[in-house]
Amino acid sequence: MQSVSTSISRLAGARRTTQARVRREQAVTIVLFLLPAAILYSLLVIYPVFQAAHNGFYKWNGLGPMTNFVGLDNYVRILGDDIFHKAVWHNLVFILLSLVTQLPLALFCAILVGRRLRGRTFFRMVYFLPFVLSEVVTGLIWSFIYHPRGGLLNWVLSLLFPTWEPPSWLGTPNLLVLICIFVVINWKYFGYHMILYVAGLQNIPAEIEEAAQIDGASGWQVIRQIVLPLLGPTIRLTIYLAVLGSIQLFDLVWVMTQGGPANASNTMATYMYQFGFLRTQLGYGSSIAVIMFVICFSFSLIYQRRVMRQDFGD
Amino acid sequence: MTAQRFSISMLLRYVIAILIALVVLIPLVMTVFGGLKTTGDLLSNPIRWPADHLHWENYDGILQSSSFWVQMRNSLFIMLITATGVVLLGSMPAFIFARINFPGRELCFNFFTLGLLFPLAVAILPLYISLRQMGLLDSHWGIILPQIAFGLPGTILILRGFFLALPQEIEDAAYIDGCTTFGMFRHVAIPLMRPALAAVFVLAMVGSWNAFFLPLLVLNREPLWTLPLGIMRFQGQWGTDWARILAFVSLTLIPTIIFYFFAERHIVTGLTAGAVKG
Amino acid sequence: MQKLRKIGLVVAILTSLLLSACAVPGNAPSEQGSVAANSGEKVKIRWWHIWAADGPEGTNWQVLADEYMAEHPNVEVEITIITGDPYKDKLATNMQAGDPPDLFQTWGGGVLWQYADAGLVQDLTDVLAQDEWGDSFLPGPMAVYRHNGKVYGVPWRFGMVGIWYNKALFEQAGIAEIPQTWSDFLTAVKQLKDAGITPIALGEKDKWTGHFWWSYLAVRDAGQAGFAAAQDRTGSFSDPAFVNAGEQLQQLIDMEPFQAGYLEQSYGDQQVVMAKEEAAMELMGQWAFGANSTVAEDNLDNYIEHTGWFPFPMVDGGAGQATDAFGGGDGFAIGINAPPETIDFVKFLTSKEHQAAMAEAGLAVLPVVKGVESSVKEPVMQVVLQHFSEAEYLQLYLDQYLPPAVGLAVNDFVQELFAGTKNAQEVADAIEDVAQTELSQ
Repeated sequence: MQSVSTSISRLAGARRTTQARVRREQAVTIVLFLLPAAILYSLLVIYPVFQAAHNGFYKWNGLGPMTNFVGLDNYVRILGDDIFHKAVWHNLVFILLSLVTQLPLALFCAILVGRRLRGRTFFRMVYFLPFVLSEVVTGLIWSFIYHPRGGLLNWVLSLLFPTWEPPSWLGTPNLLVLICIFVVINWKYFGYHMILYVAGLQNIPAEIEEAAQIDGASGWQVIRQIVLPLLGPTIRLTIYLAVLGSIQLFDLVWVMTQGGPANASNTMATYMYQFGFLRTQLGYGSSIAVIMFVICFSFSLIYQRRVMRQDFGD
Repeated sequence: MTAQRFSISMLLRYVIAILIALVVLIPLVMTVFGGLKTTGDLLSNPIRWPADHLHWENYDGILQSSSFWVQMRNSLFIMLITATGVVLLGSMPAFIFARINFPGRELCFNFFTLGLLFPLAVAILPLYISLRQMGLLDSHWGIILPQIAFGLPGTILILRGFFLALPQEIEDAAYIDGCTTFGMFRHVAIPLMRPALAAVFVLAMVGSWNAFFLPLLVLNREPLWTLPLGIMRFQGQWGTDWARILAFVSLTLIPTIIFYFFAERHIVTGLTAGAVKG
Repeated sequence: MQKLRKIGLVVAILTSLLLSACAVPGNAPSEQGSVAANSGEKVKIRWWHIWAADGPEGTNWQVLADEYMAEHPNVEVEITIITGDPYKDKLATNMQAGDPPDLFQTWGGGVLWQYADAGLVQDLTDVLAQDEWGDSFLPGPMAVYRHNGKVYGVPWRFGMVGIWYNKALFEQAGIAEIPQTWSDFLTAVKQLKDAGITPIALGEKDKWTGHFWWSYLAVRDAGQAGFAAAQDRTGSFSDPAFVNAGEQLQQLIDMEPFQAGYLEQSYGDQQVVMAKEEAAMELMGQWAFGANSTVAEDNLDNYIEHTGWFPFPMVDGGAGQATDAFGGGDGFAIGINAPPETIDFVKFLTSKEHQAAMAEAGLAVLPVVKGVESSVKEPVMQVVLQHFSEAEYLQLYLDQYLPPAVGLAVNDFVQELFAGTKNAQEVADAIEDVAQTELSQ
């Protein structure tokens, strides 16, 4: 508060400017504010992406000039590939699971370790730690937990149900492997969303909550009627990020199962790595990327128009 | 009576918070602890106490090696510049997109979000060729600049949302007081946005700290390597020394935790009472 | 306003960056190195390999590089070490960008030939013919670097895949004789199972591990002629021989001979299972003995004492010979822009003197240079060496021999056979399907 009021009062002394000058000054600010980001972004993101998308029309192993123009052939092959269909389905499963478990958990934790809990800094840090751990190590540690020989999970289960023989958690080619991977995704990334919620919660003044509580509202009522609506923009943002993240999910799956067994955990991104990069079919891989882009773009368009629009108040 | 109800619900909150913390911590404890075993022991009995004794030499050996400290310095340098760059370059457009109306604003904003929609791994070959043309190979800037560029879309999207939440009254008051747009950004918006900026800083920091692929392609000379590249030294052609990798990783967690602590204080320094009229 | 000026500075820097980027034309491979032909001028050899600096191979290479630099003060050897899968990623990106390292680790076969076709590696045919350098190598290993009559690399160690078995567990199961045929082999598996012993260790998450089984059966069923026909497209990967291989493997899979959860385990797990004597056999290359020893720990003495090796069994009615071998090895290739000194350096690294020393130290096992065979000390390795030298036909690992698009398809589809999502015929057809689009010239 102090910094805000002093800066405002300091600025109050400034000479008032004419309307035209304000506008010119604003235009200069816009250009100067956008330019550095725009240059860097165009040069190192948009230009390479455009090049890569262009490769999608060629059959090309990445070596030598691209001469074998195949038009939409790559796209026809991808869209006709059963393994790709399965991968799309797996992405949908991950999106669904993220939305119904990961985000609520992150929100729950953000509120749980909110303002008045002593030791909240400690808890927040602990919850955030998995996000700090690299994907490779996360995958390794969790494969120890799921390990069929002396893994932690089977050890705990053997104490609870001595007679039951547990399945091969990451080695069963069905939904089980997806769920096991999702548990890890959840563990690793809920801290990411939590930190955004925590930042969002800071924008809700404490006295609003306090006032409601003095009026006799229960904790749950305060959360439902005050916290959630005020946190709305952040929640809608994290849904957006979670869906895009699930569509592009790669590292953890690759480290834990390489998309297997028998493609049972392939996502579009691991499919792209396996069939595009490892098999040195760069044209084909680029087409997969373009398809993923189209999916993300369609989602983004609809979501921004329908859901996030209210946050931008145009 | 109220006090009693309060403390019971508080107790419940603690129990739940501690339970979640335990679930979160178990794999991390396994990481640190796994670094105290031998690889053969780790692979045959992942969760059991070491067969013979605690192998502190795994940690000791890493701390004694000069390359670890060189890589630590490189990683820290790249991480700090990247995170600062992302916050600096990302907050300015986010502010413009949120608070200033100008023709083509939506188009501009959508241009920046495109980067979120395309799997950037595909663009790595064209990016590599661009970096070579710019003479940025085998230099830290060849990692920092692309990382900032890749970080911009997400940062702009997140910060724009937070800038939008800034109450209009504050902006009006600033302009009435004769504030320029830049002054409004620098002296009003930025101080109020500290939680969000700190959050974005932390996220960019972690991304840079764990980055593997880009440094792998860009850096050839070992004195320039970062910590994730350093892990490769524990990998043989036919086997991986997992125990020493876990020890290595446990040690590399420490700097990020320290930086997180600094940032966390900003994340929770939000608006104080009275600054905003509901 | 000072802040604004700073921002202006950033913009200026970025703009100049942009301009300088545009000023550099094209993406032609750099010309460095090739000018410095006459000795005396400073040259740098950029050498990429995959052996950790503090491991035995990595240490050995550094020692030899230092030795060479001491003898040739004008040459600087700059070693970059990238271990594991990242090596292939980094090499592929540099190749695609037209910027190969001067000297690099290769496994030969289809991957190297792709680089050769794109003009990224040096043709060594002529230099190998000079001073009888080429004749110093064993002929078998040389074959995997030969493509369209030209040679693009040289080996430094080689070997073959075979069955490593635990003599103590075989005895416990009452198996008196080494299985000679596939049906003998299946009987032995049954005996082991009946005795409550896990017959086979496998880490099938990695895929290349299981591809050994299908490929070796295919080598036995199809033979040299069958493989050559499938590759040059006069034959097909869905020919009966390849379907047979799948069906024979199916017989084995149906007996459930592998350790529990093998589909989610990697080669590292397979090593531990063998080293701790929890399974009786594995199908693996010549390195398995050394690799397993590194994780055996307190069981090391038992592991060494109990470990034996026999060649992959013959199948009834197969077109191949019982002596045909399946394997591969490590070699050097030279980038197209490498300085001429690189060839001399490779001659130095593969000299008889250094090969003998490396074979004796257990590094160049099996050795590839003539006349150093006696340097191999380990008895079980001598058994492997003997079979290796008897092989008239050596089939390189399929995931190296075939271009990656086909080779990795073999790995992927064979994993489906293990997982039970494809049958033998479907695996053969699926491989043929990829081969049709990728192998036709």
